[in-house]
Amino acid sequence: MSLYEIYFAGSLLLITTGLYIIASKRHLVKIVIGLEVVTLGVNLAIASMGIRIVDDMIVMDALAQGMIAISIAVAAAIAALALSIAINIYKHYGTFDIRKLRRLRW
Amino acid sequence: MEPLNIILILVGAAVATVILDPVFRKVRLIELSGVIACIAFLSTLVLLVLDAVAGAPPRIIIFGPDSPLTTSLKLDMLSIYLSIIFSGLGLMAAIYSIRYMLFEVEHLPLDDPFWVKVRELGLDRYYALLLTLITGMIGVTMANDFFTLYVFWELMAISSYSLVAFRKWSWEAVEAGFKYLIMSTLGSLAALLGIALLYGLAGSLRFDAVRAVVFGGGNMAAAFSLAMIMVGFGVTAAIVPFHSWLPDAHPAAPTPISAILSGVVIKTGVYAMLWSMFKIFGPATYGFGPALIGLGILTMSFANIAAIMQTDIKRFLAYSSIANIGYIITGMGLAAHILRTYPSEVGLAALALTGALLHVLNHALGKGLSFLSTGCYILRVNSREIERLEGIGPRMPATTASLGIGLLNLAGVPPLSGFWSKLLIVSAGLGIPSDGLMLAVTIIFIVNCIVAAGYYLWLFQRLAFKRPMLDGGLKEISEAPALMLVPILILAAACILITIMLNPVLQFIRSALEVILG
Repeated sequence: MSLYEIYFAGSLLLITTGLYIIASKRHLVKIVIGLEVVTLGVNLAIASMGIRIVDDMIVMDALAQGMIAISIAVAAAIAALALSIAINIYKHYGTFDIRKLRRLRW
Repeated sequence: MEPLNIILILVGAAVATVILDPVFRKVRLIELSGVIACIAFLSTLVLLVLDAVAGAPPRIIIFGPDSPLTTSLKLDMLSIYLSIIFSGLGLMAAIYSIRYMLFEVEHLPLDDPFWVKVRELGLDRYYALLLTLITGMIGVTMANDFFTLYVFWELMAISSYSLVAFRKWSWEAVEAGFKYLIMSTLGSLAALLGIALLYGLAGSLRFDAVRAVVFGGGNMAAAFSLAMIMVGFGVTAAIVPFHSWLPDAHPAAPTPISAILSGVVIKTGVYAMLWSMFKIFGPATYGFGPALIGLGILTMSFANIAAIMQTDIKRFLAYSSIANIGYIITGMGLAAHILRTYPSEVGLAALALTGALLHVLNHALGKGLSFLSTGCYILRVNSREIERLEGIGPRMPATTASLGIGLLNLAGVPPLSGFWSKLLIVSAGLGIPSDGLMLAVTIIFIVNCIVAAGYYLWLFQRLAFKRPMLDGGLKEISEAPALMLVPILILAAACILITIMLNPVLQFIRSALEVILG
């Protein structure tokens, strides 16, 4: 197995884990954590696509680095926004449990 | 004109509203931040229209050296066409917001004086987010590589999450905002995974480089990334299995934002799908036509049935947005099917795509108009129940008449241009009579259009002609404020103007289609 394949398998594992968290957990903050795990998985997928072997050294493509940096920044913004919305939901209902919410059923 | 200028104008205005807000509050002129947004949108619109009239050739701006790793922006007829729609509706929403947001300030559940409430609501943030939302959408249409596309996509997405959850004192807005955030972010991540695979295949994200690799030959990885991109952008476009955020998110936002979200944000998803599927992957190789047709039929049929059962007027309009996305997707699917099965009939595929793109414009105008008129009713009656709004027509004649034009346009009543866009799709579907699939699709399409026309007209007669159910409930209702009426009347005039000027508009769309079909 090449390094690229190991990384990609890891990223798929992370994505599946994150999706499982989002689907099974009933706690708002845990759902946000699941979302972040999916993001990490996708970042790892980008990294695995950017691996280049130059003179027996493993290097990462510049574009992949840029994309991952942007993706991390975006994920931070989304996590901040999601948590601030979660705080507002807590203010309304006094709970983080999505089963107590009126419309949050997908 | 450089594509970067437009983005700089809008982002600069967004920064200016935030920086200047303390000054505006000190001089007691909070309307000024709205005026800044209006000026920014107006200058963008004028620049784009001038460019379109001049018929400028497509341009590509590369930042840095010309290598496969640098990012770049493009400006062609398709991006100009969509950007004009986006900034035009943005301008209308900004004008409308100046008065409407004062209503939101008054209805804040706080006992503080007016100026404290203004600070609490954050009008500067509102206009800054509106500006960055439109910037993101225009940037998506101007991106020339998937990296830029993703950056602007997230700019648009994050702005729209914040705007949906903007009325944070209402349970509806925060819940809908959270749901929208989770679902739409998962969609963006699916698209990003697809983009990552394309990057692995092509070693670059520039559209021309990716196209050179995937357009001709299809392999498993390319097909998988196509599916990921279709699902990812399909979430924002609200195609039916991924639509469930929309009926919650659109009504929960402040009304001008509902107009933007329903009118144009979902069209950005349609553009991203159209561009990546038709331009990058190519329908002839991958054969996604039947899948798109199936999704389109499912989307419109489901949404039309769901729309009939709504009692809340904003939810009703939100469901009808999903149905209209179904029409557009079906048009695209018919074009893809024709391009794959009958490669000689490019003209017929162009006909279907012309209909789809014209419907993008028609739906943006009609839905923007309907949402903005609904906002006037909400301002006066403070209710969204259709039952309570029955018979409001004689009290607010100008608003209701404009709403009528918007609904007739959406219903596709001839001679309004909403009829012609649907007719173009139908005539493309009937173009090859021997093809059973296309015939069946066209018949379902026509049935859906008739059902939709029925419920739009039914809604309009309830609002305009029915006697009020609540006796005396609507006695003190007066016409909407002038500043809110102006964008509504402009949009109603635009609906009629486009019908009169259908030929130049169709020519414009045809030149935009040349970008995709070559």
